[in-house]
Amino acid sequence: MKRTTPIAIGATAAIALTLTACGGGTGGGEEATADGPVTLTLAGWSLDSTPEFQTLADAYHEANPDVTVEVVEYPAGNDYATAMTADLAAGTAPDVYVLKNLKDFVTYSNGQQLLDVSDVAADLDPATGGVESYAAEDGKTYAVPYRQDSWVLYYDKDLFAQAGVAEPDGSWTWEDYDQAAQDITEALSADGVKGTYLHNWQSTVQGFALAQGEGADLLSGDYSYLAPFYERALALQDAGAQVDFGTITTNTLTYQGEFGLQKAAMLPMGTWYTATLIAQQASGEANDFEWGIAPIPQADASTTGTDATPVTFGDPTGLGINPKTDEAKVAAAKDFLAFAAGEEGANALAEIGITPALTNDAVTETFFALDGVPGDDLSKFAFATHDTRPENPVATQTAIVQNILNDLHSAVMSGSTAVDTAIEEAGQRVQSEAGLS
Amino acid sequence: MATNAVEERELVAAAGAPAPRRRPGSRLKWRNTLIGWSFILPNFVGFTILTLVPVLILFYMSFTNWNVFGVAEWTGADNYTRLVQDGSYHKALLNTLYYAVVHIPLTLAAALGLALLLNRKMRGVAFFRTVAFFPYITSIVAIAVVWNMLFSPEFGPINQFLTALGVDDPPGWTTSATWAMPAVIIVGTWREMGYYMLLLLAGLQTVPAELHEAARMDGASAWQRFLNVTLPCLRPTMFFVTVMLTIGSFKVFDLILVMTNGGPGQSTLVLSQYIWQKGFVENQFGYASAVSVSLFLICIAVTLFQFFWNKKKEA
Repeated sequence: MKRTTPIAIGATAAIALTLTACGGGTGGGEEATADGPVTLTLAGWSLDSTPEFQTLADAYHEANPDVTVEVVEYPAGNDYATAMTADLAAGTAPDVYVLKNLKDFVTYSNGQQLLDVSDVAADLDPATGGVESYAAEDGKTYAVPYRQDSWVLYYDKDLFAQAGVAEPDGSWTWEDYDQAAQDITEALSADGVKGTYLHNWQSTVQGFALAQGEGADLLSGDYSYLAPFYERALALQDAGAQVDFGTITTNTLTYQGEFGLQKAAMLPMGTWYTATLIAQQASGEANDFEWGIAPIPQADASTTGTDATPVTFGDPTGLGINPKTDEAKVAAAKDFLAFAAGEEGANALAEIGITPALTNDAVTETFFALDGVPGDDLSKFAFATHDTRPENPVATQTAIVQNILNDLHSAVMSGSTAVDTAIEEAGQRVQSEAGLS
Repeated sequence: MATNAVEERELVAAAGAPAPRRRPGSRLKWRNTLIGWSFILPNFVGFTILTLVPVLILFYMSFTNWNVFGVAEWTGADNYTRLVQDGSYHKALLNTLYYAVVHIPLTLAAALGLALLLNRKMRGVAFFRTVAFFPYITSIVAIAVVWNMLFSPEFGPINQFLTALGVDDPPGWTTSATWAMPAVIIVGTWREMGYYMLLLLAGLQTVPAELHEAARMDGASAWQRFLNVTLPCLRPTMFFVTVMLTIGSFKVFDLILVMTNGGPGQSTLVLSQYIWQKGFVENQFGYASAVSVSLFLICIAVTLFQFFWNKKKEA
């Protein structure tokens, strides 16, 4: 009796510890029957600073009181994809999840982690941008876009006036941009203000190169189209017109801080920044100054001016349905997708400053009626008129190629490798690692 | 003992009584074994389920091409042939070796130096020992952010100090492909020397003071005493520290990821990070498993070598 008790305690402890170690990982949305109220779970990130998910959820619930959409928080940034992949593999992902980065779409669609939503896509307004990005090789559409950001040029009107430099008017080429940046840096050098700020993401150079460059093809293995864009960026950096790439990395500078606190007069950035800037100006995090949006500078003069359509890049953000969702909820999920990509969803998003996939006149009006959004004609033009080319063409090797090009970006911008050498190396790596030639 | 038992059994059998089925004393032995196992069972069950089984699955996965969603298709040794030809893998391997070869002696020397310095009774020695251990318990993200700022080529105090000393072209540290790895090694050494200092301190306490006295009376200088008394007595601890340091250096990951994320280009890409990239970023889990197996084999080979070397020294 005296000896068996410790053994019994030991065995119980062993079992208890093992069970607690294995526990955890609650699944989402297990409630509701088919006829009664339905609860859908929606994945989202940084819920405190990214109100779009809750906005869509609330707007849908208002329109359909029977359906409640519960937003589940996921990590932000690159971790979102990792967490979502893990949850999908484990079968605990939410019913509807956001495709944050287009390069992950191929992984999910090939891995059968998305339900076929061709019927939803077919009913969408034809002006909805980005639908074709979600068409897989078999011709079926596996997700719908609810946001289509594109890259524009944000500029600080106050700083331009202070420096005495002419504001962008929609007719700029990259040479005009370079000139303006250098002029502003010279004029405002006493205040330490730089002409422009180029964030350290690979997309700030490579996105434009892919959209505007001659013979640009991400999967070709030939990246010489990047050369002129990198040379321009490096020239601006050397002239002191923009912060050094190394300093951005070591001091973890943020583009919101640099432009918002008026340390730079221009900022090429995606349209998602509009909502953030408005919110930060309202809360006092950013300075109170006049700003506007201009179309991004063009590579050649044929696409400049407000009569033409400026070429820029951007990727849609989409919603997809988890195939492991209950049969009973699939109809509600598809309806939610149609709502989010349709006019009501677009209006709801425009009301908080997000650029929806559908930017027709009604949506543009809603967007520019917002407090804090610049109301001038050029900004409206930049918002509504653009030829947005995809940053991540849909293919299985896109993720690998983008990884390799990211290494190229840091090697070139930090001055460690010459542009041509880096481009050649990237071509070789793509050949060996992605199997493209 | 066995012969007695056999004889006993024969006598008993001869006497007509039923032979005992087990040897005397084995019942107690069996009970003691069970009690022992029940103590290690919690840890062992956790280890089996969470470490051993995944590692065995990893060995299997390295022969397949799995993209986390589908079924793993058997591809034989394709991943390994690809490994041998992969330029990025070679780069990662070289970087890992570079890190290990410089980091290990540097940390060992620093830790040993600190341990010797703090192995005496002086005022505040407990404070200094604690302070030396701080870097090890600090959050790695905080370390990376602060050191990145220190290393900033234009604004960081390190380069400002170097310029004040008269160095014309101070290195770019984490923004330069040639200086990124030395920068990471410096931070890695700074971080880990406290931990190994503690282990070596414990080892130093076991060196008998009489040996030092005897050596001193024989006229040995401090350096001679260090070489001939301290180091030999410290060998078991040094062996442990070296093995842990080696394995840790080959597996370095968090520091590189948060400080340079592979560095400008691929200059600080290490094996663990390469595995992460291939597996979690590009979803090529089969290939990542093959790289993991190669890292495992490297660690095992080096550790075995160290064990044999130690055994030889012991003899």
